[in-house]
Amino acid sequence: MEQRQTSGIFGSEPAPRRFVRFCLAGLLVLGLVVAATPAFALEENVYRQVMGIDSRRLIWFLAQMHLFFGAFVLGVPLFAVIIEVVGWNNKDPKFDNLAYEFTSLLSVAYATTAALGGLLAFALFTLYPTFMGYMAGIFKDIMFLYALLFFGETFALYMYYYGWNWLKGGGLFSTGMQWLFKGISLAIAACGLTFLLGGIGPEMRVDTRWFILLLYILPLAVGFWIIRDRKSSHIFIGILLNVFGTAIMQLANSWAGFMMSPAGVDADGVLVGTVWQAFENVLATPIAIHRMLGNLAFGGLVAGAYAAVKFIGAKTPEEKAHYDCMGYISNFVAIAALIPLPFAGYYLGREVYSTSAVMGNNMMGGDFSWTFIIQAMLVGSLFVISNYYLWSGMTRIPGAQRYYKFIKYILFALIVSFAIWLTPHNLPLTSQEVGEMAGSQYHPVLKYLGLMPAKNAVVNLIILATFFSFLLYRRGNMEGAVSIRAQGKGARITILIIGSVAIALVAQYAVTMLKMDPAELDLPADRAEYIRMIGYVLVFECIAGVVAIILALTDRGKLGQAIYLGVTAFNVTIFLGVYGFVVMEKASPVLRNVAVSQFLQLISCLVVVAVIDAFLFKRAKSLGEMQWGRMTVRSQYALLLLTFVITMNMGLMGFIRSGLRGDWHIFGVMRDTSEWAYTPSNFVMTQQVGAAVLLFMIGCAFMFWLGGIASKKQED
Amino acid sequence: MNVTITRVLPFLLLVLGVYLWIGYAITELTGGGRKSSAAVDISPEGGEAIYWGKGRCFTCHSVGGQGSAVRGPNHGQFGEKFPLAMGARAVERAKERTEKEGMEFTAIDYTVESLASPGAYVVKGYKNEMAVVYAPPISLNLKEIKAVIAYLMTLGGDLDMAAIDTKPSEVTLGFYAKIAAAAEAGGGDPGLGAQVYEDNCTDCHTLNGEGGEVGPDLTGISAKGLKFISEAILQPAKALTKGFETYVAVDKEGRQTVGLKTRDEAGEVDITKANGDVVTIAKGELKEIKIDDTKSIMPDDLSEAMTVKDYQDILSFLMLQKPKPAE
Repeated sequence: MEQRQTSGIFGSEPAPRRFVRFCLAGLLVLGLVVAATPAFALEENVYRQVMGIDSRRLIWFLAQMHLFFGAFVLGVPLFAVIIEVVGWNNKDPKFDNLAYEFTSLLSVAYATTAALGGLLAFALFTLYPTFMGYMAGIFKDIMFLYALLFFGETFALYMYYYGWNWLKGGGLFSTGMQWLFKGISLAIAACGLTFLLGGIGPEMRVDTRWFILLLYILPLAVGFWIIRDRKSSHIFIGILLNVFGTAIMQLANSWAGFMMSPAGVDADGVLVGTVWQAFENVLATPIAIHRMLGNLAFGGLVAGAYAAVKFIGAKTPEEKAHYDCMGYISNFVAIAALIPLPFAGYYLGREVYSTSAVMGNNMMGGDFSWTFIIQAMLVGSLFVISNYYLWSGMTRIPGAQRYYKFIKYILFALIVSFAIWLTPHNLPLTSQEVGEMAGSQYHPVLKYLGLMPAKNAVVNLIILATFFSFLLYRRGNMEGAVSIRAQGKGARITILIIGSVAIALVAQYAVTMLKMDPAELDLPADRAEYIRMIGYVLVFECIAGVVAIILALTDRGKLGQAIYLGVTAFNVTIFLGVYGFVVMEKASPVLRNVAVSQFLQLISCLVVVAVIDAFLFKRAKSLGEMQWGRMTVRSQYALLLLTFVITMNMGLMGFIRSGLRGDWHIFGVMRDTSEWAYTPSNFVMTQQVGAAVLLFMIGCAFMFWLGGIASKKQED
Repeated sequence: MNVTITRVLPFLLLVLGVYLWIGYAITELTGGGRKSSAAVDISPEGGEAIYWGKGRCFTCHSVGGQGSAVRGPNHGQFGEKFPLAMGARAVERAKERTEKEGMEFTAIDYTVESLASPGAYVVKGYKNEMAVVYAPPISLNLKEIKAVIAYLMTLGGDLDMAAIDTKPSEVTLGFYAKIAAAAEAGGGDPGLGAQVYEDNCTDCHTLNGEGGEVGPDLTGISAKGLKFISEAILQPAKALTKGFETYVAVDKEGRQTVGLKTRDEAGEVDITKANGDVVTIAKGELKEIKIDDTKSIMPDDLSEAMTVKDYQDILSFLMLQKPKPAE
């Protein structure tokens, strides 16, 4: 693995300069186009075509391809840096090599993303001149900022990739220098605190504030804090790369959000507010949160596909071991992002509803209700296949055989949950079939499985089951739990702090539920009991969490975990699953609070149980070394399938998000008066997305192949 | 590369094949893409095209066995729950409306009302959640709404085109006026606009005898026209109403008080500030008092506090505030 000099896929010398020149030229042209375009008020929309191609499908395809590559480019650095930090912290070169190999994939995809972005921009400006003129008029400041951020990302990426060996080794920086960086870190942290308390941007939405705090300010503060030598400086550059990438994504998301929930403009589309209002529209941050997690999962799985292909073609046990490890880490990262993703989706959906009930109804009960059934199939498959991959991975762990017996139960829970999740809200039936059901379009039994409470319950169960698989996996070669008390104060304090934060998260919502006035939800006072009940359940959950922590601190951690997992499973799946129907009938607006409470209980439980588990098996006696490479080829196809499925799902979600606007370019402000102003069928969607997935995968294979021959050349 | 071509590519094609098949099967089951209709005539055919297209009625309603939506009542004859199709059902519902309101409702009046004020008489067992079809994003114009009414009336009822279009009843005319006013205001929802008004305006403005008196009485404000109302919300200083000029009073110590002059008597003046506080200043203490026509005590940041939707909604609500006929 020491072939990493300055090799990009294009060999050693000209690659960086060529890339930079290419990007600069592209951005310059984009900047000129933006600068030359006046701010249109609403006027007759002009549409153009090129070579008789349906302009909408062309834009759709280009945007999809750009987003696929963009998601990969934004997702991979997130975990590349994390893996590098793990390697740096443990002084393990294996992780450093892996992080480098992930980054080498990134450098290849970056130019393609930029090229597709340029093509998309040209296509939009030439085929939809009125619409783009209007958007450029509103967002011209942000578009320039966007272009400038590209410079930052480009330079950070090349510094990160090509400086890998250069910023390695050497001694510590001088004490003065280290204190300087710590001082900058503290200054950033102080700004962050002021920002959090509302001292900066008091009118900002809560979600935007947290997004900026957690993804820009905090990483920068931590980045400066850790700088003490060349390697940590390199990690800091990696953090910068992520900050630039995230900012680019957030700016572009604001345009997509504005098209769905315009803000800062009047009914004629004239900007009457500020550019910030247009930027911080209702859906901008929920989309950014959803996309951020999606990118992380997607980046992980595309890197996993790379590892799987390499594994399948590996000739030596060493190669197999290396790519097996790479595949495992990729899948682990993807699962970590997949777990909160449904909740981010739920939040986005809620905000869509709050923006427009018509758009919300169209999403879940209109044009896209069946598209969501396909989405449920894909997301359910992602979890089932991820679990399968974990179970397959247990074959490489000596001692894991002890846990095989649990797999059938987990599989059963997953399949039942999957089936419920797939059950449609209302079935397409003939009049005769409806007549046989006493005139109701709801099936007497299936209606209970097709409604939101059932779906919320099973999605929580799927996540719990996946987490349980992960626990079995990581305990595979551990002989038994160790004493937490014997690990000193550090372990106990860590469990206490993290546990307290997690439980406080649940407790604050319990208090909210116990105090909430039903009038806030437009409900009469006698419906308070339905809100209070959620509060009582949350209090019960908090007690279980406290008991789990106390048991863990008194060396009965396994019992504590079992109690906490059991109570959580009961609360979120069984009790609130059933109670959700009662709430739906008696106090429907409270249903969203039920969902939030389920999410908080689940996340809190996962965090506490994971932390206890980390100490419970820290330095536990091993039953044998992990036998990397001892995996079935079948499992690698599972990894590939995961990648295909998530890519198809991303395309599908893009179709829904964009299609929700119906025949509006900008919802409620600028109508789409073109001949393509209609919602295509699901078949058209699968054709379009399928073609994009195929081309994306072929593109990835080609780039990975180029990367492979460059490495080979270096080895030679 | 060999592995990719010989093993991974066929696998990918297989997966994509399944994906395409699912898309195809679901489209076969549920129908294809929905094309928006172009401009239509006021006819049942035009209404049908809008019902299943631009109007998005199919999102919540079905017509008998056609469509699968159940969020709203089925408009056809359907099972025990809907023994009558919409046209015939409207006759029955109109009788109930007549009884409840004490004024004559025809089937067309009822049907028009259900589109103009969907929350007025909700079908039992359903929620008051119907979208305002003349507001964005659906934004049907009056002609298109009339076409939909015509279509609904043909579902088991008698179609009277004159009563829909050329010779509507007084009740229907009232609803048409409401739709037209809302459409003129950018298609806002007057019902939601009332709430926006309550949240933002009622402390300072009087409407139909209720509310604060810091700002002008808005009863009958629609007479001033859309442009004036729009400007008054977004740039209040540009549309100051006589008697509500902004005064700047400076006392001898240089303290400035800005607001409406609500009392001016021999010895003192009252200045009512934007927050409703009344400041009484003795005239002997005044250094100067003058009108500042560049300022309004009405907040000038309402465009920031309101969303586009709120703005459209409140405009449509204010456009419905017609002057009261002289007693």
